[in-house]
Amino acid sequence: MLLTSVIIVLREVLEAALLLSILLATSRFMQLRTRWFYASLAFGVVGAVAYGNNLTAISNAFDGTGQELLDAFLQFAIYLLLLLIVPLMVINHHRGAYKRNLLQGAMLVAVAFAVLREGSEVYVYLSAFRTQPDLYSSVMTGALLGAGIGFSIGALFYYLLLGLSRHYTLLLAGILLTLVGAGMCAQAAQMLIQADWLPAQAPLWDTSALLPEGSLPGQLLYALVSYEATPTPIEVIVYSVSISLMVLLLGFTHYVSRSYRQNLPEARAH
Amino acid sequence: MTSHWHKKWYKTVIVILLGWMAVAAGRPEVTLEIRDHLFMPSELTVPANTKVKLIVYNRDPTPEEFESYELNREKVIMGGQRAIIFIGPLAPGEYPFFGEFNPKTAQGKIIAQ
Repeated sequence: MLLTSVIIVLREVLEAALLLSILLATSRFMQLRTRWFYASLAFGVVGAVAYGNNLTAISNAFDGTGQELLDAFLQFAIYLLLLLIVPLMVINHHRGAYKRNLLQGAMLVAVAFAVLREGSEVYVYLSAFRTQPDLYSSVMTGALLGAGIGFSIGALFYYLLLGLSRHYTLLLAGILLTLVGAGMCAQAAQMLIQADWLPAQAPLWDTSALLPEGSLPGQLLYALVSYEATPTPIEVIVYSVSISLMVLLLGFTHYVSRSYRQNLPEARAH
Repeated sequence: MTSHWHKKWYKTVIVILLGWMAVAAGRPEVTLEIRDHLFMPSELTVPANTKVKLIVYNRDPTPEEFESYELNREKVIMGGQRAIIFIGPLAPGEYPFFGEFNPKTAQGKIIAQ
């Protein structure tokens, strides 16, 4: 029971912790207040408990596909928020404070959604053992270990990002958030296929012999870039389009905000 | 002219909808039960290259998560509830699945043939 609960909690915590640590690091980097972070954690935890307590009703909604649809909605929403967050980070970096309240608000909602998604599964899992006192302590120990490892990896990313030279912090954060966002879209597409809202297809390729999804590196890659050993054409297209959209938007933002800075009177005087 | 076009348009939609419903209704169904953290039966045979509606009844009072890397499926099923999971179309072969909350006991596989 101990090992199972370590793995389950680690998987869930890791996914949320990555998004959380990248956004927190860029917040610190841009000297934003980090109060949004505590609020989003609180909203996320309350949301996770509410989701877990109502999971039966949610699952039965929409002809038994409520769970998939809500999950897909949360993941697409996080991606759309990232489409707002990452360009705003670039603008703030190039031309100083710009719509910082909007940026913080978007980060708050994105992290709250991520915590809600992952937290609810941990909550449902742990709630099964409340009535089994003989197993409860080993499950809780495993859960704490898993959470500890997950948050440590998150902290590692946090300090890695802040330890880099100023130019690379934003670049790496942008790359990671683009990958995390595209992964969320691919997972959302997967959920819509499971709900029969998108057509099921034969996988485009199979890398499960090279790198099994259940292995430790497979799980780490899953948390970071939503590694999928047997993706269908729809998932591959959704993943590619999500990355391209973010890259195009970033390229445009970068170009516009740089030319803005070059055209400032002080810049011209130099 | 315009109203005529509209009539045709509605007819087309109805025909498509009816066709879609017929396809959905014609999908083979298979059922699976979870009892004492075990899948029953632990082996299910389904037709290959066909979309199948898998209905999983959780007869335990505790929640379970149906998970399969090979099928790309994961779904939490609360205690005493049932879940509908669409799988396939699958190439002939074996597709293991497990209960993520009780992975040591809750194991099974789907055989597509």
